[in-house]
Amino acid sequence: MTAIVTKSGLELHTSGAFAMLRRISAVVGNTLREAGRAKLFYGLLGAAVMLLGFSLVLSDLALVDQKARLVQSFGMAVVPLVCVGTAVLMGALLLHKEIDKKTLYAILPKPIARGEFIAGKLLGLCALLVIELVALALVWWAVLSMRGGQMTGPIVRGLALHVIELVLVTSIAVFFSALTRPVLSGLLTAGVFVVGRVTYVITDLLAARKGLFVEVPAMRAVGKALVVAIPDLSTFAVADPILQGWDVPWSYVASASMYGLCWALAFAVGAVLLFQRRDFT
Amino acid sequence: MRRLASGAGDTLFSPAHTTPVQVCPTMNDANSTPLSPDDAILSLDGLAKTFRVGFWGRPVQALRGVSLTMRRGESLGYLGPNGSGKTTSIKCIVGLIQASAGKVQLFGGDPGEAPRRAKVGYLPESPYFYDYLTPIEVMEYVGKLYGMSARDRAERSHKLLGQVGLDQAAKRPLRGFSKGMLQRVGIAQSLLADPELLIWDEPLSGLDPMGRKEVRDIMAALRADGKSLFFSSHVLSDIETLCDSVCILDRGQAVAQGRLSDLLRSEELESEAVAEIPSGDNRPAAIATLAALPGVVLTDLPSGVRLVLPTAQVPALMAKLLELGGFLRELNQRRDSLEELFLRKAVKRDQDGGAA
Ligand SMILES: Nc1ncnc2c1ncn2[C@@H]1O[C@H](COP(=O)(O)OP(=O)(O)O)[C@@H](O)[C@H]1O
Ligand SMILES: [Mg+2]
Repeated sequence: MTAIVTKSGLELHTSGAFAMLRRISAVVGNTLREAGRAKLFYGLLGAAVMLLGFSLVLSDLALVDQKARLVQSFGMAVVPLVCVGTAVLMGALLLHKEIDKKTLYAILPKPIARGEFIAGKLLGLCALLVIELVALALVWWAVLSMRGGQMTGPIVRGLALHVIELVLVTSIAVFFSALTRPVLSGLLTAGVFVVGRVTYVITDLLAARKGLFVEVPAMRAVGKALVVAIPDLSTFAVADPILQGWDVPWSYVASASMYGLCWALAFAVGAVLLFQRRDFT
Repeated sequence: MRRLASGAGDTLFSPAHTTPVQVCPTMNDANSTPLSPDDAILSLDGLAKTFRVGFWGRPVQALRGVSLTMRRGESLGYLGPNGSGKTTSIKCIVGLIQASAGKVQLFGGDPGEAPRRAKVGYLPESPYFYDYLTPIEVMEYVGKLYGMSARDRAERSHKLLGQVGLDQAAKRPLRGFSKGMLQRVGIAQSLLADPELLIWDEPLSGLDPMGRKEVRDIMAALRADGKSLFFSSHVLSDIETLCDSVCILDRGQAVAQGRLSDLLRSEELESEAVAEIPSGDNRPAAIATLAALPGVVLTDLPSGVRLVLPTAQVPALMAKLLELGGFLRELNQRRDSLEELFLRKAVKRDQDGGAA
């Protein structure tokens, strides 16, 4: 790689893939650092730990052979939900804070492409969410083992799927936050998440013989649009099958990951395209 | 900063082993030599920006076709009152906003392309950085974005933070920093990658007199080292001594530009003279002769006469004084005359606009 050499002999490595990765990782590092100081993050983390602790108390009321099961199903609901909440809330604020506090103004004029900046912010938040998920899973595991439960293979694979879902939700959040103000973008992300969890219902309704989605043409169009434009997040919601004793094979994890990452990439590219046109006045 | 101002040997802006070259063209060849494309490091060509405000997208024309060319090694003052479009222009130059019309060429290309900005050091207007970082951490982050090695980052940031007088505060988070201290951080980070072109938005605003002097000293040192400086200001007297040329902006248009010395010599500028003329019978006649010079306002003083006249008339005044046997005791360029020039231009444009 050829470096730019300034008049005083300083070398600037700005071209090539490696230089790009270094820039992105600088943004990732700073994003993690900033998020690691956010009260919001610790608030959510604390709430999750308290809920898990609460399940411990609740399980005392349960029948002996149901204790572990209660803690298990509780954690299965709480851990992913809190992480998704973090993704939505912090994702909505991710770019807004940089613009609002004008910190971005000193960064974007540096030799960093806007796409690289977005990639760094996105990956930084993803890294934070993985840390959060792992931390909560460890707490959950501790609580579970106190009640004689186990962290089984399917549960671990289920958590792996949730990581993919978090990456996807984060890129949706970043997409909307590149588009609009934080409150609206948070609501939109939450909306996409909720609808995404139930798109399979819409698919079923569209395929039915009767009903609103079949008989009313406008509703049919809306339904079709939703199914096409919103990723099917039920792909990653495997809590119920696991609790019912089903396995989640690695092959399923792999294909679901492909699906999720492709969608995440699409939203990330959209975010970059929106961000590139923006004026920072 | 004091170390820097003393100017001895190893300043950071020009290491001892390179000889600072005087790249500023002299006054004369600025007019005679055609600008080679190599020399133009920055050019604006009919730059215009219209913002849309409010629900209905009412247009606000912040820039209405500004053109200028800046040569390598030049120090250009970008002047204008608040709201005249200085920051908007600068944001177009560093790629923060896109022009509605016209073109910006930075090192011969589009500033939107990231690598082109590697040779630019930008200081935002009242800079903000991540308040949880310390100055050293800011420099680290910025250095990574410029692709500097870890050693270079550490060395340069240590040196620069020392030079802007932040060595004591280098490891404190920015949260508690005053505006002046943030400005110093901003200056240090803009110099980190040893950029060829510095683009500073209002580097002197918000500082106390001491701070202004220090920043001015830094700018003078950078200029002496052959760096190109593009900086804005709304106070002319602040920067008069720092720039080779100026561009004066008013309501989104360049109303005057050129070498400062040329503008100061231009006929629209005024000088103030105090002359002594022989007393006696001839005195009223002599006064009448002087008062007849075009554009002169004459005041009779006990000790002589005071004249306010277009600078272009100064040679004529001197010739007349010789003839009359008087002499010139004082001659001053009126201190506020560039500001007045600017005001006149603005008023004239309004009148022209009204007539059209
Ligand atoms: N984001 C914006 N939306 C609408 N108008 C703006 C915006 N930014 C700047 N302006 C207007 O553009 C003009 C120029 O502003 P600016 O470039 O900040 O001036 P200066 O830096 O010379 O003080 C002002 O009239 C200002 O109100
Ligand atoms: Mg301004």
